Amino acid sequence: MNISKRRLAIAGLISISLVAAACGGDEETAETTEAPAAETTAAPAADTTEAPAADTTEAPAADTTAAPAEGGELELAAGEVFVTGSSTVEPVSIRVGELAAELSGGDLAVTVEGPGTGDGFQKFCEGGADVTGASRPIRDEEAQACADAGIEFVELEVAFDGLTVATSPANTAIECLDNAALYALLGPESEGFENWSDANDLATEVGSNYVPFPDAPLVVNGPGEESGTYDSFVEFAIADIAEERGTDEFTRADYASSPNDNLIVEGIEGADTSLGWVGYAFYKAEQGRMKSIAIEGEDGTCVAPTDETIADGSYPYSRSLYIYVNTASAAENPAVASYVELYLSDQGLIDQVGAAGYVSLPPDRVEATRSAWSA
Amino acid sequence: MALVAPSVRTSTQEEVRRSLTTRDRNIAGLVLQVVLLIAVMMTLLILFTLLVRLIGPALPVFGDRGTAFLTGTIGSNPDEVGIWPGIYGSFFIGLGILAISIPLGVAAAIYLEEYAHDTRFTRFIVVNIRNLAGVPAVIYGVLGLTIFVGWLDPVTSGKTVIAAALTLAVLVLPIIIITSSEAIRAVPQGLRDAGYGVGASKWEVTRDHVLPYAAPGILTGTVLSLARALGEAAPLILIGAITGLLPATSLDGPFTALPMTIYSWSAKADVAGADLRFENVAAAAGVVLLALVLLFNVFAVYFRNRFEKKRTGT
Repeated sequence: MNISKRRLAIAGLISISLVAAACGGDEETAETTEAPAAETTAAPAADTTEAPAADTTEAPAADTTAAPAEGGELELAAGEVFVTGSSTVEPVSIRVGELAAELSGGDLAVTVEGPGTGDGFQKFCEGGADVTGASRPIRDEEAQACADAGIEFVELEVAFDGLTVATSPANTAIECLDNAALYALLGPESEGFENWSDANDLATEVGSNYVPFPDAPLVVNGPGEESGTYDSFVEFAIADIAEERGTDEFTRADYASSPNDNLIVEGIEGADTSLGWVGYAFYKAEQGRMKSIAIEGEDGTCVAPTDETIADGSYPYSRSLYIYVNTASAAENPAVASYVELYLSDQGLIDQVGAAGYVSLPPDRVEATRSAWSA
Repeated sequence: MALVAPSVRTSTQEEVRRSLTTRDRNIAGLVLQVVLLIAVMMTLLILFTLLVRLIGPALPVFGDRGTAFLTGTIGSNPDEVGIWPGIYGSFFIGLGILAISIPLGVAAAIYLEEYAHDTRFTRFIVVNIRNLAGVPAVIYGVLGLTIFVGWLDPVTSGKTVIAAALTLAVLVLPIIIITSSEAIRAVPQGLRDAGYGVGASKWEVTRDHVLPYAAPGILTGTVLSLARALGEAAPLILIGAITGLLPATSLDGPFTALPMTIYSWSAKADVAGADLRFENVAAAAGVVLLALVLLFNVFAVYFRNRFEKKRTGT
């Protein structure tokens, strides 16, 4: 009896000491983040490195010292920044955050999550984030929620994202499609079509120039409804015709949907006569495995998704990506201002946007974004 | 009456006679044995495939990065990412589960087995606990989001390791209660009677005889449920584990955990110019998760063996 008591006591002691050790470890790690914010007071320094465009007016606030060639280092304030929002913008925000950590020696600590544009705005308008990314402009009701909570923000366009309609590289029959064809193949009325030719009647009815479709199995892969890419696709390809015909603004429900872009690509690659859509960034990274389908614009020409056609706006299925910055937290927390300035510098808008696979804004749009921030 | 089913009888007789008089093998029995063996081999094959699929792609990560992979943080470049926030999150989630669900679960089991009378109310509770054990994990995520992230925000500071640990502790609690109850029920009644016989109180008997005897069974249930909880990603998605960028780890700040990291990395596109692929680092993170679960299990097995020894009186 005595022995058993002692052993139980030992077991208890060990578990207590484990917990104690755990708490100790926590204190250590917690202190690393709270670096003194004051010591590097970041006057919003102008980063005008080697902007291809005229490097003049865009300096945020203070000194417009046009930095010599590559030396235009930003003074980065220490502190913490929390970024939420679109999973499409997330890769850019992550890269800028990594760059910020690197340039500041870890003092500027940026946490990034990507629950989605809508969830991001909800959190942002509750004051739960300093910056939120969005793959569409803020909606009226979201702006109202922000206004009700007293959150003021500034909208900054940071990049273009194209949406790519793709098929298997083995599919040589389809090179170009128009909205009507995609509505007939993927729209709400296409449910149950298992062969491209099943959509012929509907496509003719809605006025597609690309009928008849080949007699081949139609295998559809795409992101699910929770994805911003899904919303964009509906908006680009489906919405107008659906409105005309009084149908719901959704795609067909009977397709292989996945939040995992790799699975979508596997699906598109896996069937010779597949059809699907992914973000342009993902298409660009995996373009050996898919063939993009050109989209017929309003003027009747087919435009394939490339960096150029997206930047000049000729590709119909492209969209702008935004970040929204809480102006109060940018004013109070120099780290937020530093992060946004790094985002808007050439290292952000050109280098990191490119590294994330998106298309950089043309110089005049860059200019517009920078002046929106400095205003 | 014996004539009702003569065919069966004759065939059985035939069978017995044949096996006694001839040297024929029992074919049906042999076939069954082979089928059972195949079942075992299938399980082993699956395990083997799993390990090969996991460790194969993970090797280059540990080869190239070594311990830098363990100490780095999550990010965009598979050549530079690390798993530290995941290890930190999962370790404290594991500790939290142990600290919360074992005492609660064992206490509940002791009450149900030793103290509670067999009333309608007790039976109602037991049925509910059994049902709870079958509730899908993602539902617990909804519960965690509402209660631990929402209502208990002052305690948990929102979407933190604490909230995650509480949610997963609640997730495994019914399983721990059920397995502990079974273990306690398996303790021979004579052991209790002997205790009462020398004048021990109910709590003394429970503490000094029933619990040590039931401890190995309780620990087995705990180990299994802890492994399940550590591998659970669905509730963490709802609670809001970070998958983007997480420079600092703390108990009361944004967090992530190993299964979330594996999930997010396996969905990421490859980065041009990187030596490693996200597929590789996801597999490496899987190996780390396995190692962590193994670590917790080693502790549990150690304690179980100590109790085993005590029970057999050595």
